[in-house]
Amino acid sequence: MSWLDQQTDKYQNQRSNRIFNLTFSTLSRYFDKSRLPNNTEATKEAGQIRSGWDLSQWDARQAARTYWLLQLSADSPEDYRSALDRLFATANVDEQITLYAALPLYDYPDQMVYRASEGIRTNITDVFDAVALRNPYPAGYMADEAWNQMVLKAIFMGRPLYLIQQLDERRNPDQARMLIDFVHERWAASRPVTPELWRGVAPYLTKEHLPDIQRLLEQGSSLEKQAATLAIKESENDMLRKQLANYSLPDEELDWKTIGIMSND
Amino acid sequence: MMYIDPHIHTSSRTTDDYEAMQQAGVVAVIEPAFWMGQPRTQVGSFLDYFSSLVGWERFRASQFGIKHYCTIGLNSREANNEALAEEVMELLPLFLSKEGVVAVGEIGYDDQTPLEDKYFREQLELAREMDMPVMVHTPHRDKKAGTSRSMDVCEEHGLAPSKVVIDHNNEETVKEVLDRGFWAAFSIYPHTKMSPERMAAIVQQYGPERIIVNSAADWGVSDVLSVPKTAMLMKEKGVPEEHIRLTCYQNALDAYGQSGQMNEADLLTPELVDQRKKFSGNSILRGGQTPRVDEGGS
Repeated sequence: MSWLDQQTDKYQNQRSNRIFNLTFSTLSRYFDKSRLPNNTEATKEAGQIRSGWDLSQWDARQAARTYWLLQLSADSPEDYRSALDRLFATANVDEQITLYAALPLYDYPDQMVYRASEGIRTNITDVFDAVALRNPYPAGYMADEAWNQMVLKAIFMGRPLYLIQQLDERRNPDQARMLIDFVHERWAASRPVTPELWRGVAPYLTKEHLPDIQRLLEQGSSLEKQAATLAIKESENDMLRKQLANYSLPDEELDWKTIGIMSND
Repeated sequence: MMYIDPHIHTSSRTTDDYEAMQQAGVVAVIEPAFWMGQPRTQVGSFLDYFSSLVGWERFRASQFGIKHYCTIGLNSREANNEALAEEVMELLPLFLSKEGVVAVGEIGYDDQTPLEDKYFREQLELAREMDMPVMVHTPHRDKKAGTSRSMDVCEEHGLAPSKVVIDHNNEETVKEVLDRGFWAAFSIYPHTKMSPERMAAIVQQYGPERIIVNSAADWGVSDVLSVPKTAMLMKEKGVPEEHIRLTCYQNALDAYGQSGQMNEADLLTPELVDQRKKFSGNSILRGGQTPRVDEGGS
C-alpha cells in the first residue's frame, strides 16, 4: 500500500485537520516534479469533468497534491473554506500554484471568488499563471470588474493571453476601453504593446479608433498588422473594413491563437 | 569560485545586495527565521513571516539567479513570550516540511532563561521527529558557557552532532565544537563577531573540516559580501583553494543537504535570470526599468 493510500485511509477514518495539513505539506517528500506523460485519454476526460481544465503542464507532485485536495471533507461550506484558507495562508510557491490551479475543482466553487482575486494580486508570475492561464475558473465565476483586472494584469506581466480560457466570450466594453487607454499610455511612453491585446478590443472598435488602427497598419510589426486586420474583421465596422483596402497585407491570415503563440515566442 | 552564504537575512536586504552577491559568485543563500529587531506580538506575524520565507523571498532571490533556502523556528528572544511561543510552536510543523526548508532554526539561547530552554528543547524534539538538521544560534553574552550548554542539550535530546550546526563561533568556542563533532559556523561581521582576518587564521589553525563561513547579514550594519571577501582574503593568506571551497561552499551544502532539500545539481544549473519574462508593474522592476535577460533566456 502506498504512503498516499495509507494517508487517505487514515484521513477517512479520522477527519482531522492535522492529518490533512501535514499530508499536504509532506507530499513533496514522496512525489517529484517529473512531468506527467502526455495522455490523450486523460486530457479528454479532464475536459469532460471541467470544460477548459488543462493539465498539460502538470507534474506528478501537483497531481498528487490535487488528488489530496479532493479528499478534503468538511461539515459545512464554512468549515471547508476555512480549511482551504489555512492551506493558502501557509503555502509555499509551489503549493500556491497547485491550490490556485485547483480552483475549478473545489466543492462550493462560488465561495472561492475572493480567493481567485487574491491570486490575481500576486507578483509571483507562476502563481498568477496558475489562476489566469489554462484555468476555467476565472471565466466561470469572476465578475467583469475582477476579470478585466486579470486580463489587464496579464498584459502588464507579459503573459500569453491566448492561454486565458474563454477570453473571447468574456470580452466587454469596459475591458475594451481599459485596453485602449493602456495602449495610448504605452505609446506615449514609446513602449510596445502585445499584438494579442487587440483581441480584447476587436468587437468594440469604432470609427474613433481609426487613428490607432492606422498607426498599427502603417508602423506596426508584421504581427501587429495581422492583429489589426483580424480585429477589424471581427469588429464588423464597415468604415474600418474599407480602410484595409488601402494597405498591402500578408496573404496568409493568422488566427488569434497563432498570433498569441508567435508574439510570446 | 561558487559560494553559499548559509546564514543571511535577505528579507531585510535590497535588490542591490542580491545583484552584488550574484556577481561575486554567491549561488545560494539560507535565510534562517529570526526576529525582526523588535518583538512580534501576534502569531499571525509569524505565520506571514514564515510564509514569505518559503514564498515571496524565494521568488525574489530567483529573480537574481540565486537559490534561496530557509530554516524555520522560534528564535530564542521571542521564546520568552510564553503565550505567543505556544501558538508559534503549533505553526512550526506546518512549515518545516515545505520545499526549501533545510533545518529547524535558528534556535538556542539568548539570555539563557528557563523559557528559552523550554522551547529550545521542544524544537530539538521536533527536529529529531522530523529528521531535520538544526541551526543553533549561540548567545552573545556568556558565549562560551552558552555554547557548551547548547551542545549538551542537543546530545541530551539524542541529536547526532553531524546534524547540528553551531553558529556564531569565535576563537574561544571553536575547539570544543569541532572536538565534539558538531559543525562550526562563523558569522563574519564588519565590526563585531568575527573578522575575515581572524577567520583565515582559524582555518589555518584548525583546517577546513566542518567549518562554515557565513555573513549573518541582516537589518543591522553587516556585509552581504562577507563570504566572498573572506574567501579572497584566505586566498591572499595562502589558504589552499580546496580549504576555501570547503568552508565557503561545500560544508554548508553537506550540512544542510542532509535535509534532502538542497541539491548540488540545482546550484550547478541555476535558472537563467529573465526578469523580462517575470516582469510585473509593481514587482521587483518598476515601470520603465530595463529587465535583465541572461544569455539563453527565452
